[in-house]
Amino acid sequence: MIIEWLPALASGLLLSLQIAGMALLIGVPLGLVFASLVMSRWKAVRIAAIIVVEIGRGAPALVVLQLVYYGLPSAGITFDSMTSAWVALSLTTAAFTSEILRAGIQSVHVGQPEAAHALGFTALDSFWFIVLPQAMRIALPPLLGFAIQIFQATSLAFTIAVPELLSRAYSIGSSSFRYLEVLAVAGLLYAVISIPIGWFVARLEKRLSAHLA
Amino acid sequence: MSTTASPMPKVRLRQVTKAFGDHVVLDSVDLDVAAGSVTALIGPSGAGKSTLLRCINLLERPDTGEIVVNGEVLRVQEGITARELAQLRRSVGMVFQSFNLFPHLSVLRNITLPQERILGRSKEEARDRAHALLERVGLSGKAAAFPGRLSGGQQQRIAIARALALDPEVMLFDEPTSALDPELGLEVLAVMRELAADGMTMIVVTHEMQFAQDVSDQLVVMADGRIIESGDPALIMRDPQHERTRQFLSAVRDR
Amino acid sequence: MDGFLAILVGVPLTLYIAASSFLIGAVVAVPLVLALRSKVTVLRVIVRGLVDLLRGVPIVVWLFILYYGISIGTFRFDSVSAAIVGLGLIAAAYLAEVYRGAILSIPEGQWEASNALGFSRVSTFSLIIAPQALRVALPSATTFGIALLKDSSIASVIGVTEIVFLTQAEARSNQSGLEMYIIAAVVYIALSFPLGLLSRWLDARFRKAVVA
Repeated sequence: MIIEWLPALASGLLLSLQIAGMALLIGVPLGLVFASLVMSRWKAVRIAAIIVVEIGRGAPALVVLQLVYYGLPSAGITFDSMTSAWVALSLTTAAFTSEILRAGIQSVHVGQPEAAHALGFTALDSFWFIVLPQAMRIALPPLLGFAIQIFQATSLAFTIAVPELLSRAYSIGSSSFRYLEVLAVAGLLYAVISIPIGWFVARLEKRLSAHLA
Repeated sequence: MSTTASPMPKVRLRQVTKAFGDHVVLDSVDLDVAAGSVTALIGPSGAGKSTLLRCINLLERPDTGEIVVNGEVLRVQEGITARELAQLRRSVGMVFQSFNLFPHLSVLRNITLPQERILGRSKEEARDRAHALLERVGLSGKAAAFPGRLSGGQQQRIAIARALALDPEVMLFDEPTSALDPELGLEVLAVMRELAADGMTMIVVTHEMQFAQDVSDQLVVMADGRIIESGDPALIMRDPQHERTRQFLSAVRDR
Repeated sequence: MDGFLAILVGVPLTLYIAASSFLIGAVVAVPLVLALRSKVTVLRVIVRGLVDLLRGVPIVVWLFILYYGISIGTFRFDSVSAAIVGLGLIAAAYLAEVYRGAILSIPEGQWEASNALGFSRVSTFSLIIAPQALRVALPSATTFGIALLKDSSIASVIGVTEIVFLTQAEARSNQSGLEMYIIAAVVYIALSFPLGLLSRWLDARFRKAVVA
């Protein structure tokens, strides 16, 4: 019986992964932009960026999803459910990762950009070649941890009619009335991806702290 | 130490002043450094030696004053353009107390990347220069190594090579051996002596009195943001004119 | 304005769910972390698997399992209980990890000195280690508390009439979706603001109390 469910669940899982992937692909570079704005020299830019980031982090992902799908149409912007899903999750990703990246960037030893500037690197080159690579190493564990969270958050796209994993499980459940079993299988599918990445993150963190110690 | 006396000093500072809030760190400092000479900057902590050094390549921006390097005049009050800054940084190389090698890059890449990005040299040219310099500082075998695996003395010598790769006219050293064990410090000082012998214009903030006496052409003593004495190293060491200099030198000798 | 008030009606339930599940989690996390540190391998492995599973499956899936999946005889969870139990168990898993990290951060020397003085292992833990670990855990725990407040919004999916549920109702009835959802977002941000301040205050207070 369970075997019959797998194709539908697998295609749902694929969709969940796609949404998460897109959210990260767009959200992380956007987060880098916001991190730079938050660290800007100009106070007005800094404050505006901090406000946007805090709103992005303070609003629950479910609210952002529904705002984009149900709310934006009244402002004239209508996205289909799939698009709404990755737009909303990209925004959430950008807000959270901007803080992760900012912390990473600021933890790079100040002597690094100093040496780069003394040599004559432009500010952009200094950031791109010297500071950012080191910041990314530090930021990688929390970024991966967040990636797991975003992947799990795709389950919320169920509420905006995206046929992702949970949605598939629920419809199988309502037609077969075997909710517990199909939800358990769906849960395991989420876990099979989240848990190994979580172990990897734990190993990375251990290696990183040993390296810095 | 032989020097070629030049009509125009290689580095000249006039009326350089810097304050952090109420605290005056540099009080209208004037300094001349002749081409090919070695100037040692000594004095008690908080005297402003490092700040003065960092003003020369504008890692610190003075509040007022004039900085002339290799004939290029920069007046702080009139503003400094990005191009002037870039040119200054190309003429002046700096070696830091904490080395500041780029840990995520190999030793070779530490030396080739600046050449490629800042001077636009080709990969081959940059690599050849890098190898030549590594040989010069005695570390040819370490090109593929990463900074984290090297001793402090080795890292500092590579930092020197990295700065030299850009062919600066002036080299600044900010307490280059203060973070090193004495034996490791000696390797670095040896490289610096050779550099001086080859005719590099050098300004060195240091606590190494022996080095200052042996190698420098001009000894500059600072205290409380001012230059209180300057001139021939042997003369000053033997017979300091200023009370603070006397205090400082005797404190250093007693260690 | 009516929309705003209608949405505010959901705040007490949101707070109730968040607070209850945090409390449950904070308490249940204690035996969990003890099991994680236990020398009994079977216990450790089972609890480890449990904690990983609780964190590895999305919250909404757990809530669905509890609400739609559990029917033992005549017993079924109502939506609020399912939400509190589900969020509580997940909170327990997260806080167990927070406690674990906090305990590990206590220097080995504390254990050694305590043993040398003659304290039993249990006393060492309860009198010396745990109080210090609690201080270390506080910042992460409050950060998690803020996250839990936001996660309570997921209860709307199983019909709990908290903030998001009421926001959806309002958005549907008066066709001004954008406004309503913006209000909801602002309400959550406003609610987490005092928690953020509390977090900073607690941080400062307990930092002073710790003798370095």
